[in-house]
Amino acid sequence: MSDVEDETVLNSGDPAEDHEEEQEKQPSKSRRRDYDEDEEEEEEEDDEEDDDEEDEEDEDEGTKRGQKRAKHRHKKPAVNRFLDVEAEVDEDEDEEEEEDEYARDEFIADAGVEGEEDFDTVRRAADHARYDRRVREMDDRELEQVAEDISQRYRRTAVRYTGEMSDVPQRLLMPSVHDANLWQVRVRPGKERDIVFSLMRKAIDLEYGARPLQILSAFQRDSLPGMIYVEARSAKQVSEAINGLVGVFPSRGINLVPIEEMASLLQIKQQELTVTPGSWVRIKRGKYQGDLAQVMDVTENGEEVGLKFIPRIDLNPKDEASLDGRKRKKAGTGLSSFSMRPPQRFFNYEEVVKVYGRKSVSKRNQVFVFQNDTYKDGFIEKDFRLTALQLDDVNPTLDEITRFTRGQDGNENESNVDLSIIAEASRKAAISVLQPGDHVEVFEGEQSGVHGTVHSIEQDVVTIEPEGVDFDGQRVQIPARSVRKRFKPGDHVKVMTGKNSDETGLVVSVLDNVVTFLSDMSMQEVSVFSKDLREAAEVGTGTNIVGNYELHDLVQLDQQTVGVIFKTERDSFRVLDQNGQVRLVQPHQITMRRDSNRAIAVDSEGHELRRGDNVKEVDGEGRKGRVLHTHQSFFAFLHNRDYNENGGVFVTRARSLASLAPKGNAMKLGATDLSKMNPALSGGAGGMVGSGMMGRGPRDRLIGVSVMVIKGPSKGYVGTIKDTNGPHARVELLTGNKVITIDKEKLRRRNPDGSLDVLEKPMGGMGPPRPGGGQTPNPYNQGGERTPAWGANNTGRTPNPYNDSRTPAWSANSRTPNPYADHGKTPAWDATARTPNPYAQAGGKTPAWNSSSRTPNPYAGANSSSAPTWGGATPGRPSGSGWDTWDTRSAPTPFSAFTPGAPTPAPYVSLQTPAIYEYQTPAQSSAYPHTPGFLSGGIWGNIENTFELSPKWLLDPNLADKVAGIMVEVRGSYASAGQPGWHNADYEGKQGVVLSVFNTDNDTFQSTARVRFFQPVDPLQPIVPVPVTYLWPVHPEKKGEDVIILSGAQGMGQEARVEAVESRNTMVLTTKATFLVIDSHPERLVRTRQVDEVGNFVR
Amino acid sequence: MFFIKELSHTIHLHPSYFGPRMLQFLESKLYSDVEGTCSGEFGYIIAVVSILDIGKGLVMPGNGQAEFVTRYRAIVFKPFKGQVMDGVVVNVNKMGFFADVGPLSVFVSHQLIHPELKFDPNSNPPSFASEDQIIEKNTRVRLKIVGTRVDATEIFAIGTIKEDHLGVID
Repeated sequence: MSDVEDETVLNSGDPAEDHEEEQEKQPSKSRRRDYDEDEEEEEEEDDEEDDDEEDEEDEDEGTKRGQKRAKHRHKKPAVNRFLDVEAEVDEDEDEEEEEDEYARDEFIADAGVEGEEDFDTVRRAADHARYDRRVREMDDRELEQVAEDISQRYRRTAVRYTGEMSDVPQRLLMPSVHDANLWQVRVRPGKERDIVFSLMRKAIDLEYGARPLQILSAFQRDSLPGMIYVEARSAKQVSEAINGLVGVFPSRGINLVPIEEMASLLQIKQQELTVTPGSWVRIKRGKYQGDLAQVMDVTENGEEVGLKFIPRIDLNPKDEASLDGRKRKKAGTGLSSFSMRPPQRFFNYEEVVKVYGRKSVSKRNQVFVFQNDTYKDGFIEKDFRLTALQLDDVNPTLDEITRFTRGQDGNENESNVDLSIIAEASRKAAISVLQPGDHVEVFEGEQSGVHGTVHSIEQDVVTIEPEGVDFDGQRVQIPARSVRKRFKPGDHVKVMTGKNSDETGLVVSVLDNVVTFLSDMSMQEVSVFSKDLREAAEVGTGTNIVGNYELHDLVQLDQQTVGVIFKTERDSFRVLDQNGQVRLVQPHQITMRRDSNRAIAVDSEGHELRRGDNVKEVDGEGRKGRVLHTHQSFFAFLHNRDYNENGGVFVTRARSLASLAPKGNAMKLGATDLSKMNPALSGGAGGMVGSGMMGRGPRDRLIGVSVMVIKGPSKGYVGTIKDTNGPHARVELLTGNKVITIDKEKLRRRNPDGSLDVLEKPMGGMGPPRPGGGQTPNPYNQGGERTPAWGANNTGRTPNPYNDSRTPAWSANSRTPNPYADHGKTPAWDATARTPNPYAQAGGKTPAWNSSSRTPNPYAGANSSSAPTWGGATPGRPSGSGWDTWDTRSAPTPFSAFTPGAPTPAPYVSLQTPAIYEYQTPAQSSAYPHTPGFLSGGIWGNIENTFELSPKWLLDPNLADKVAGIMVEVRGSYASAGQPGWHNADYEGKQGVVLSVFNTDNDTFQSTARVRFFQPVDPLQPIVPVPVTYLWPVHPEKKGEDVIILSGAQGMGQEARVEAVESRNTMVLTTKATFLVIDSHPERLVRTRQVDEVGNFVR
Repeated sequence: MFFIKELSHTIHLHPSYFGPRMLQFLESKLYSDVEGTCSGEFGYIIAVVSILDIGKGLVMPGNGQAEFVTRYRAIVFKPFKGQVMDGVVVNVNKMGFFADVGPLSVFVSHQLIHPELKFDPNSNPPSFASEDQIIEKNTRVRLKIVGTRVDATEIFAIGTIKEDHLGVID
């Protein structure tokens, strides 16, 4: 039968009869009706079914027809007997019966061919006569009699069991305990049908063998993937049958299907094909996967439908071949798989011609033909097989339909939107979304216009309590389809379903069942059906953040793929990857968030492309947008709210972009470039500036640390940490050139002498001196012994009474452990961890101080407590405590900072207590009691511990006799507001060496320095006087370079030599005068060379 | 609508402030803490009118800070649905415009603007214009609140000028 469609039924017994028309068998009905019913029920109806007289005739008929005819043909004469083919029209005919009808006609035709026409006509006339007579007779009879007659007949049928199952009524066909059982067998999903077929072949194969299969039937249901059903007397027979078949999992059990469920397994729901012209479908596969399409026509056989949808034409094909007519096809198919999916755009003749050439598009009256596809009114019209389409759950969104109806011209004529198209579909669903308490209005019927709250819902009828004066307390029952939820402008609503789900907002307008609201989050207007909304008290539960990821984050999906989140859903994201594919991604599928802040890409004009730039595509579609991210210098993710697709996010090639803003601003470009290109510079700034460090400095201090693996398969290997990620570190092993990811716990820091240390020392330990030098990975521990100069100094010093509480390194040199040692020179953590006390230098210079330090230094008391203070201010402290710790832990600091000044003022002045350093501790700079530190932690974030080089650093008296040979770089010579600039910035970025400085000592006349440039603008004039304010130090980068310390306790003007360059922008120096070992940030250093009068390097 | 409302605010004071100028400090702290803030319940706190009771400082165990529960009287501003008020347009786009009514930001959707006023994307600055009226940045408008969204720390409203006597005020 035609309604057995997708189900494979292999049945060795009687045909499965499931679909039965439920027709009431009323006794008063004519027999003809009975006959119809029987016919539908059973094609191979036995003739005995009917009355005796008819039987006889049938048999006559049967014999005449000859035994070779198919059985059902036997019956056909009976049909003809009852049917007045000339006149009568059978109203009960169903679609399925049409076949029968054809068969009948065929038969009549056959009959004619066989030359029995005459006989038939005669016989038929007789039949009709007899039938008429009988009808008359029946009318004459009493109704009771008729009833009796019929009941008798049916009783007889029921009882008379002849061994043939065919005439058994449905209820007797229901399986009972005596029947064979159904067994459910697990199989590989997707293979069900194949397995049933192989079972059938196997059965046929073994049928006459020694051991035929004992199963009776087998079938599968498409709706139940991964299982087939086998009818057999016992599980053993089933397992014998399926034994040896691939894809069957008998190990997962052969389960008996309960008898009462057996029938339902075989029930087939009538599938109605709803493909009618005008309806909406989605395309399942290919380039247009998921796109909405409208059915234009359906072919006769229903196999193919003509669709109309918005084309996706690649307007900037990468492959030149696709321009070539011959390879068109290949390019077309290739598109979908590995290149970007072009966005939906209406077909535009001019654009396409521009890209593909005039020859590629031909025009046949109103229709364009391009790449074998037909385009009309901007839409593509194409035939699709029904199987490639999704017919149900299409759920066209308002957006899509608007787009569809808006048409090619793109004018936003809202009235164009024929909402009735989807209104029907939405209406059906609307019933189910109503809840008691909802505010609804009646929009059709006689109660139209009434509004009220839903009181109760029974099936399709809602009872509402209308509002208004006319109704006091009475309730009205309304069909659910005639009511819709009611919203007023100003209501705060939340979207329950659909792609905007969880969005909340304030209703701005209501038009029939379309509600427009202003989203709380995006401040965009969103139009949704009122059925999808409900009033919401809560605000903006919908959020742009799921997990750790936020809207418009650049995320790594796998090794090759990154994408930008363009939509967040309840617990997943929609991500547009670099190939233009949209993916639905769960948070756990995201490897990491990528930071493209530092990613460098250039646009079509070679300008740097930064985040937030407003750019425009120069080729292709000329889309504009703001740069969200760049990836691998190639892909740029842009965002433009005006595009609906993918939330306005699209991906393009960075090289095909041009800035929208005029790029005349060369200064901005130059300045940023320099700071970016010079790692020392940027790093230096990071080291100095509290917040700057957080962003730009090394992310983890562990990076670059030499470690040894102490556990696991790589135990004993030595390597360097390349990257860290939470508890894991990526370690590049020295051996094998391999990078492994390993728990930090399995790593130990490896000191230069080979000893091992814990990897992450607690950073709080910075202030409180650490017991035992062995734990401090301090190279200067050894340094103390290494440098004989220090040892010599030792003797002259007073042993420090605070010895016991200091790290041995310090006490060995008997210096006061002064956290301010680093003032202005090194970040505090460096200071405590490594720096030999610069007071030593001071000591060398000012013996007076040494004597004062013999007195128990009141400041020392402050030191221990203020050390964490510094720690708190120190950038890059992994503890991350920041200023909050500051606040709580170091509260007493200011007091101590104040108090010690009183008893021993002299040494402090000479020592330059922190209070007068160029970067004061905030606490000391602000007056008691309004110290901001006590108000809240937040304020502290503003105060940065910066190292700012004075613009007139070259004029510093400390440098006066050392300027010759200082290497400088010209910066800031661009003209800017209030500044005329210098030499049109010709020298910007150029490096040179200072020969002499002419200090005017006032501001009216600029102090200048004679600078010999290495690469002068004018080769004939390498020495140019440059205003000192444009000269900035060139920082050392390599070991062995001579430097002058620009900033430090007493170090300004000290000459030194770089001994080592450590990671994280620290350099180890030895001063030339005192042979002290200091470490310092390169930014506080300026390179210097020995030069002669004309600037040639000596040596 | 403006109200005078008695409110209270809790201040935690660090011990270092315990001293002669403590009260003065508390007062200024109160002003800086509450003025200009918005509570969903009462609306924007425009100004503290008077301090009713600075509170007894209660030293909290553990951290030594003193807790003052300060009662004060303040002018609060809370918008209500249906309220008509005057604002200044700050931003115009094709969806409508945003206007500031003091601290409150009100959005007027283009659907709630009289159809005669049409968005003119070509004008600079962008504007809604009819033959005799123009709404652009810094135009003063009279609008009616049609809905408010009250967050814990912010109030947002949408308004309409599509009614009589609403719109540009000169």
